[in-house]
Amino acid sequence: MLASILASGLAIGAVYALIGITYNTMYTASRVMSFTAGQLGMLGGVLGSLFILRLGLPAAIGFVVTLIACAAIGVVTEIVAVRPVLGKLDQHLYVLSTLAFALMIQQVTAIEWSTEPQPFPRLLGIGNGGPWDEKFWLPLVACAAVTGGLEFLYRRTLVGRAFLAISEDNFAARALGLPERNLRMASYALAGVVGGIAGFASGELLLAFFANGAMLNFYGFVPVALGGLGNNRGAIIGGIALGLFQQAANFTVGGVFSSVAVFVVFIVVLLAAPQGLFGSSRARRV
Amino acid sequence: MRSMFPFLIVFGLAAVLPFTGSDYWTLIATRAAIYWVLVSGLNLAVGFGGQLAIGYVALLTLGAYTASVLVAGNLGPAWPAFPALGAAGVVGAVAGVIIGLPALRLRTFYFAMTTLGFATILTQVALAWQGVTGGGIGLPGPTLPAPFDTGPGFYFLCLAFAAFCTWITANVAHSRFGRALVAIRDAEVAAEAIGISKPALLVTVFLFSGATAAIAGGLFATLQSYITPDAFTFDLSVLFFIAILIGGRGSILGPLLGTIILTVLPEFAAPLVAWSTFLYAALLLIIVLVIPGGIADLLDFANRRPLERNRAIIPRPELLAEILDHGAARATIDLRGVVLSFGGVRAIDGLDLQIEPRQVHGLIGPNGSGKTTTLNVISGYYRPEHGTVGLGDVDLSHQPTQARAGLGIARTFQTPRLIGEASVLQNVMIGGSINGTASFAESLLTLPRHRRDERRLRAQATLALRVVGLESLAAVRADRLQHSELRFMEIARALMLHPTFILLDEPAAGLSTDEIKRLGELIKRISQRGTGVLLVEHHADLIFDICDTVTVLNLGRELAAGTPSDIRAHKEVVSAYLGA
Amino acid sequence: MTLTRRGFTLAAAGSLAAPFVARPAFADNEPIRVGWLAALTGPSSAPAIGFDRGVRYATDLINAAGGVKGRKIELVVRDTQGDPTKAVNAVQDMVSRAKVHAIYGPTNSGEALATTPIMARGKMPNLHPGFVDSLIDPTKFPNAFRMAPSNSQINEAVANYCLQIQKVTEVAVLGDTTGYGVSAVTDFVTLFKQKGGTVVYQAQIDATQPDVTPDMLRARNANAKAIVIWSVSTGMEARLMNTRTTLNWDIPFLGHPAMGSGEVGHLVDKPENWSKVYILGFKNCSFGADGKLPPRTQAFVDKIKGKIELKDTILWWVACGYDAIDLIAKAVDATGSSSSEAIIGHWNTLKSYPGLYADYAWSATQHNGFPTDEIVMSEANSQTDGAYKLAPGYTICGPSPQGEGEKSRREPKDCPIEEVMMSAVTTLRAVAHPRAAV
Repeated sequence: MLASILASGLAIGAVYALIGITYNTMYTASRVMSFTAGQLGMLGGVLGSLFILRLGLPAAIGFVVTLIACAAIGVVTEIVAVRPVLGKLDQHLYVLSTLAFALMIQQVTAIEWSTEPQPFPRLLGIGNGGPWDEKFWLPLVACAAVTGGLEFLYRRTLVGRAFLAISEDNFAARALGLPERNLRMASYALAGVVGGIAGFASGELLLAFFANGAMLNFYGFVPVALGGLGNNRGAIIGGIALGLFQQAANFTVGGVFSSVAVFVVFIVVLLAAPQGLFGSSRARRV
Repeated sequence: MRSMFPFLIVFGLAAVLPFTGSDYWTLIATRAAIYWVLVSGLNLAVGFGGQLAIGYVALLTLGAYTASVLVAGNLGPAWPAFPALGAAGVVGAVAGVIIGLPALRLRTFYFAMTTLGFATILTQVALAWQGVTGGGIGLPGPTLPAPFDTGPGFYFLCLAFAAFCTWITANVAHSRFGRALVAIRDAEVAAEAIGISKPALLVTVFLFSGATAAIAGGLFATLQSYITPDAFTFDLSVLFFIAILIGGRGSILGPLLGTIILTVLPEFAAPLVAWSTFLYAALLLIIVLVIPGGIADLLDFANRRPLERNRAIIPRPELLAEILDHGAARATIDLRGVVLSFGGVRAIDGLDLQIEPRQVHGLIGPNGSGKTTTLNVISGYYRPEHGTVGLGDVDLSHQPTQARAGLGIARTFQTPRLIGEASVLQNVMIGGSINGTASFAESLLTLPRHRRDERRLRAQATLALRVVGLESLAAVRADRLQHSELRFMEIARALMLHPTFILLDEPAAGLSTDEIKRLGELIKRISQRGTGVLLVEHHADLIFDICDTVTVLNLGRELAAGTPSDIRAHKEVVSAYLGA
Repeated sequence: MTLTRRGFTLAAAGSLAAPFVARPAFADNEPIRVGWLAALTGPSSAPAIGFDRGVRYATDLINAAGGVKGRKIELVVRDTQGDPTKAVNAVQDMVSRAKVHAIYGPTNSGEALATTPIMARGKMPNLHPGFVDSLIDPTKFPNAFRMAPSNSQINEAVANYCLQIQKVTEVAVLGDTTGYGVSAVTDFVTLFKQKGGTVVYQAQIDATQPDVTPDMLRARNANAKAIVIWSVSTGMEARLMNTRTTLNWDIPFLGHPAMGSGEVGHLVDKPENWSKVYILGFKNCSFGADGKLPPRTQAFVDKIKGKIELKDTILWWVACGYDAIDLIAKAVDATGSSSSEAIIGHWNTLKSYPGLYADYAWSATQHNGFPTDEIVMSEANSQTDGAYKLAPGYTICGPSPQGEGEKSRREPKDCPIEEVMMSAVTTLRAVAHPRAAV
């Protein structure tokens, strides 16, 4: 039983962490928390299933096309729901615009895809459903790969450093001649890719299901809130911890009470440490 | 009175509706009335206070279940319907505060998420607590006694509730509480300086909106005749929320129309029902992007009339005597050894500063020398790491920002902090928020004390506007003013506190030479009334003209201090800063 | 016209213009307006889409034959999306604006619970396809008639199959965390214990839970000999089936018809994971051991070939929708009136009406019209054209041939399932979640 809790807890935790990173990637580029993060995860699974099972593309090509589509959704998010309200960040209109856009994505998926969970293709065919099955370790591999990739991007490449620069100080970066808008769009595309990877890697586990979007939105946000806004390491630790806690609660106290337990712990921790457990420094307000 | 006209039309039409004989439209109208009971309260939190509580269906659920469970007798003896409705209101008020509490500590997005979480959790509890709530199978809604047990009877009851809620929320909206809520929404930093306590205000509003939402829930249960957890969909939350945004933030009429439209529209668009959530979402997006002001903005004809082009600001300092009538401050603001750093950089590095009553104290220095930061420390936005800030015997270092207003310390901001959608007069009235005496409950019902408050605040604000020379613009939306006018408006707002000290952060920035001269005269006269002035400024002429004392800062330390002539002669200052 | 899942929206939209025109209450050739309240879209729409095909087919058939005594049937359709709020609005619309003569639906129990009192107030003849026990109460709701089994009947049938045919007394009962899952599990457990069985393990599983191994392990450690599942979540059901194979645990699954939906077939890892799963079914719409449908049903299936798609739905859904229109038409035909009293009065005296879905019988004091002995278990993975094979253990009782319904229905000579007195049924606590639909 323990093996099973660990396997599914780590797997689902890795998915939450990836969605957390999706939130963070969008946030660092624009100071905007977007409700579309979870929907990107959902689309990763749905589009993967669409391209590979329904349209019959080979898995590798299906994967790439899925990521391209998710990146496009990310860019559209930036253009439609983020850029127009960036000027009024203090009015928090982005909460509404991204919520609206996320709802639209979810509804279109529900109507055009299905309101029932649909199968996701078996990618490698390793494992027999037990704790060592690919469906449990694929999300972990994806999480590790994304973490490594982002680390490389941010530390070793020029584009990555430019990302960091605009996240540190938007105005200064613009003053330095960095193409702030293009970088922001690129960041949203990157967020789309990360979300898409999360959904694709967890497709076998979570299935291609429209309601995963709202679920991932909330549970992917928890690690961000706990780990501190914009802090990817915090998101990974928070995500894995959440996954393990949630699965353990599922198996010990049962479904109804586990979601209550997760929520109570979340609220209590957040009220005690509004900046998150690995919180950032205080912000200048005046 | 004229502003009541649209409400009379809406409720007049609503009152004759049942006589058309259509039970169907009566039902839809009943639904709209019930939703409005909820939305009217929520409007104070969302539309006025700017708190994005998107999961408010949670309170509808709670109210519906509380009323139904009590009437059914699943928890102790069975209650009569109306007391149960009242109990639902009480439970809702408490829950409203619990759901709202995170708003006091968390960022907007976090708060939005937690309200969503509450909505989910409440449904889960309703499902799990089978013995009481009937679990998935639900339970019957309360049946009301005659004459409210028929379709039209129940409708008129709901309509009465709706009309009452309209009246009381409009009263709040036009009270200091309503203005303070908008201040928290649009100019939170200024609200603190004015002395508005965000926690106290928000808790009150969440209490109120929780109660109305839960009462709406009780009525909803009666209307539905039977409730199950799946009646309380996220779509309903979205509907309530969008009704407010379509209507326009900071309006009562707009959200009322929004609620009616959103309740009735789907009945005409039944074939599109599969796409209804999508259309709601699309509507929300369009409103946010295209008409952030909503219906209220579209109906605001008065503010489309062009303003006079060549208007001049002519302050009348001679009227100051009527505002600053308290004589000289008895104490001194006293900074001792203040140190404050941001991320390793010392913004203030051991500063001593005394601001005396009856004096204009200039604070100058190059960019980044710590001028505004010093002001912010005095205002309480930052707590010094070392050293103390005192007012006479009172140690200010550990008091919250909003306590300053009560001690007579007022301020203006480098970037004017205003409520763009409110009139200039209202913006100034906000400055006197802490001088109100009526409680929230008194304001709800416009009891005499509330009306006295309003009369006094209005008179004082008008006077303050005359002092700074903006009385002709009193009724104009603040965001239509020119930059220089906003600076004078902020001074008028600060004057509402009858300040013993006033902190001015670059009041001359963006002003013409004439205006600077008039400003200087005004400041001088303020100090002559006994009020101590701290003036942060870049215009050296203004500083040297009106200051009694000048402190020069560099890298967070005092470079020089003395009379203007001392400073003018100070070698280092001249070479490093004045450049003359 | 072939009705498919996608095509219905347009059809529905077309017939929606109807409610917006107020009509006089009576006229000579006035059409018979039938309100059809269905969750045609949204997460629990599959059954209603099936019903809808039967409803439309029956309507077209009757109208093509000249209608009922020269009166055409006119459908007034409102899609409620499974939302009780929309259903309440829609029912009031049908009652007071469209002035329909009878209503079929709503299809989801949450909607039905909220709308039944409204229809009772309007004395609206109402046919329920829902399972919730409390919907039917001839004293409180003299206008409401059920043409489906109640939850108590269903629990009874499943429990009997466990105990008497599978000879299993120790079961684990699992459900999802929805309202339906929670109450269905509780009710089944209560009934199963009353009948002398033992429930060795009972749990609610969050339908989104990615791995169900621990629950299955606990059920195995508790020595369960069969697992009874109440959930409409096909994802969760497929996960349970896959885990059963992974654990190499050879026990039967029994329970909700959703386990037989094509969705589950797509979601299981291997086709064999879907075997030994027995779902609730109905004799009239099941293949016997000889691989044949009862003659009456077979005739219907032959007739609709090419006209109604059966591959992506379930035959008894279509049959139930067909029967509903037929029952309303027959009531008007028999009494010559479409008044509410006439229709209700006719139904109150209906004896063994030979429908496609079942042989219905109502009386003034009994509005549960579905005979318990027609509830059977089917093999979940055996669907062909919307119908299932009977689960192992049944000897063929032979569906009642038309005409002699009453006798064979009341005296099932060689059917193993006991008949239950239906009057006891209404007093039992109701089950079924809104979202669960039928």
